[in-house]
Amino acid sequence: MGEPKPIDLDALMAEVRERIRTKREKGIYGPDVDALMRVPLPGGRRIFSDDLQDPLASLAEALDEEVEYDPRSRKPIVGPVITYARQVVISLVRWWMGAILERQERINRLLAAAYDYEGQMAPRFGTRLERLEREWKERREHEVAANLHSVYFQARFGGDEPVIRRQSEAFVDLYKGRKRVLDLGSGRGIFLQLLKDKGIGGYGVDLDPRMVAQCREKGLEAHEVDALTHLRQVESGSVDGLYARHLAEHILPGELVEILRACRRALAPGAPIVFVTPNPKTLTVGAHTFWTDPQHLRPIPPDLFTFYLEVEGFTEVELRTFEPSERRLNEEVPAGPIRDNVKLLNETLFGDRDYAVIGYAPK
Amino acid sequence: MRVHQFHPTLAPGDAMSNHVFALRKRIRHWGYDSFAYAIEAKPGVADVRSYRRLFREVKPDDLLIVHFSMGSEVVDQLVKIPARRVLVYHNITPPEFFSGINPHAAAFARLGLRQLTRIAPAFELAIGVSEFNRRALADAGYEETARVPILLDWEHFAVPPNDGVLARWKGMRNVLLFVGRISPNKRQDDLVRMLAYYRRCIDPEAQLILVGAYRDQPQFHARVVALVERLGLGGAVWFAGSVDDASLLAYYRAATAFVSLSEHEGFGVPLLEAMRFRLPVVAYDAAAVGETVGDAGVLLRERDLAETAEAAAMVGEKTELREALVAAGEKRVRDFDPDTVAERTRQVLGL
Repeated sequence: MGEPKPIDLDALMAEVRERIRTKREKGIYGPDVDALMRVPLPGGRRIFSDDLQDPLASLAEALDEEVEYDPRSRKPIVGPVITYARQVVISLVRWWMGAILERQERINRLLAAAYDYEGQMAPRFGTRLERLEREWKERREHEVAANLHSVYFQARFGGDEPVIRRQSEAFVDLYKGRKRVLDLGSGRGIFLQLLKDKGIGGYGVDLDPRMVAQCREKGLEAHEVDALTHLRQVESGSVDGLYARHLAEHILPGELVEILRACRRALAPGAPIVFVTPNPKTLTVGAHTFWTDPQHLRPIPPDLFTFYLEVEGFTEVELRTFEPSERRLNEEVPAGPIRDNVKLLNETLFGDRDYAVIGYAPK
Repeated sequence: MRVHQFHPTLAPGDAMSNHVFALRKRIRHWGYDSFAYAIEAKPGVADVRSYRRLFREVKPDDLLIVHFSMGSEVVDQLVKIPARRVLVYHNITPPEFFSGINPHAAAFARLGLRQLTRIAPAFELAIGVSEFNRRALADAGYEETARVPILLDWEHFAVPPNDGVLARWKGMRNVLLFVGRISPNKRQDDLVRMLAYYRRCIDPEAQLILVGAYRDQPQFHARVVALVERLGLGGAVWFAGSVDDASLLAYYRAATAFVSLSEHEGFGVPLLEAMRFRLPVVAYDAAAVGETVGDAGVLLRERDLAETAEAAAMVGEKTELREALVAAGEKRVRDFDPDTVAERTRQVLGL
């Protein structure tokens, strides 16, 4: 007899898995079969080695378990004697049992502490944590369509540079004479350039390294860091002005509040602060154009934003709307209720598309 | 010099008892007097002496072989007998398998593990029947250890297979077989769950035969029977109980695949028996299973019941694969050739 051919287990298992996949697809192997295979062993506890597969859940169950022992014997005639004897023995060894249990309790506590110390709560805890972190990261990425081709997106939906410049120009004068103005989410550096042109000292931070590189190419100062981290790092009162265009709608409300608090610390007394964001009070924005950017997390009503600034201690808080809608209802109708209604509709549907909240660090 | 072997219980059809008797036959053949001792000799085994005689009969230049697979108070006394003492370790099923199912067995397993460590200094040599066991011995503090496989004795299978058994399973396309005591560590419950998949997704006629004594673990046996009912598999699972050699041979012949989901085996003799009787083996790789099967079976690295079932089905239906496995199995069995193992045993025992 010759040498038997070696068996290619990997190929075999690949075929096995393929068969299972096909059966799943065809519905032959459905959740009902899965349920059958998970039916617990009737009549008592799971096999302990199975419990060890999911120690955290099983531990919780074990801790809740009462230890029961029934000393009664049901044997005829001798039963009561046996029962009595057992009760006597139990009462005799009670203190000894107690000592053993106490030692066990000590061991349990020490073990729990030791595991905690090593940072390994349970076998596979790390794997499960990693999975959770991976899934969470994915969730965060999917929430903002991080997998989208950003170049194509910018080409279709990205703002025109001249428009952005025109909008930003309206705020430059607020920073006249300032030495160190911070642009949060400085992007291509349009606002930084405007500051520089007016002789105002400024710098930007942005998460996108390409944007930071573009700024630096133009000779503008920019750093690749997220807004909150940066605001917490800078020296107290070292920034004398802050501008953040289209940043607030990309973060969660709590993060926005954190940023405002960090701003108060970072800003010199009296330093101006400006946040520009889409105006959801205009329904065509709030219901439509706001959502054409998948990175937008949620719209912020102007009244709320104003409130945020006020409640965080900024003074002289002011709201400015701009960028009127291109399309509007014709208001050239006879004066009276109809014209009033059309005006109201225009305001509601086709009002200004952006707004800015402006405030000052308390003196 | 005489050679004495001890194990608390000796029973027919038990792999470890067979090992004791096979070794005794060899030792006698080498020209020494040799005897087997037990606390309890089950009906059906002959020529076993009471362990009490050990204390009288063993002389200082005799060899005392203690087979160890469970805790026993007697062993603590045995290790005081002046003689050359050798331990053969068949492994102890970890107590966690019995916890909550059979407190008695769990307590004995715990006792056994403690005792294994305690008696270590009394032995000049400790033999593990697998590398898995040898490592356990080293971990327990044994200084001199060796691996010598179980001594198989194929001669007792030199009987015609039981006709009744063959007739009953004749013509069935998918008959899965597992041989081993009904015990939580052998996971017959998972074999039953696996059969549920098999019948729903592969062959609604598939059958599972569980050969093995269930008296030791009545609680677990009752619960597996209840599981069979719960899954609606009554009539598809056959608990054959403890069987004689002719019937066992017939089961190996009648089955289409040997499937093991056992989580703890110190060696796994039935895996080799299946191979010897040309039955392909599909086995979950746990404890000593992997080293016994070698490359001669479908070793499952992951515990997945659906995959186990599909692998067992493929082994049954693919002629080429089946033949390759059978050929590999026959070759594997030759690695455990009794003459070779006996020679190796003689060598390490210094006989």
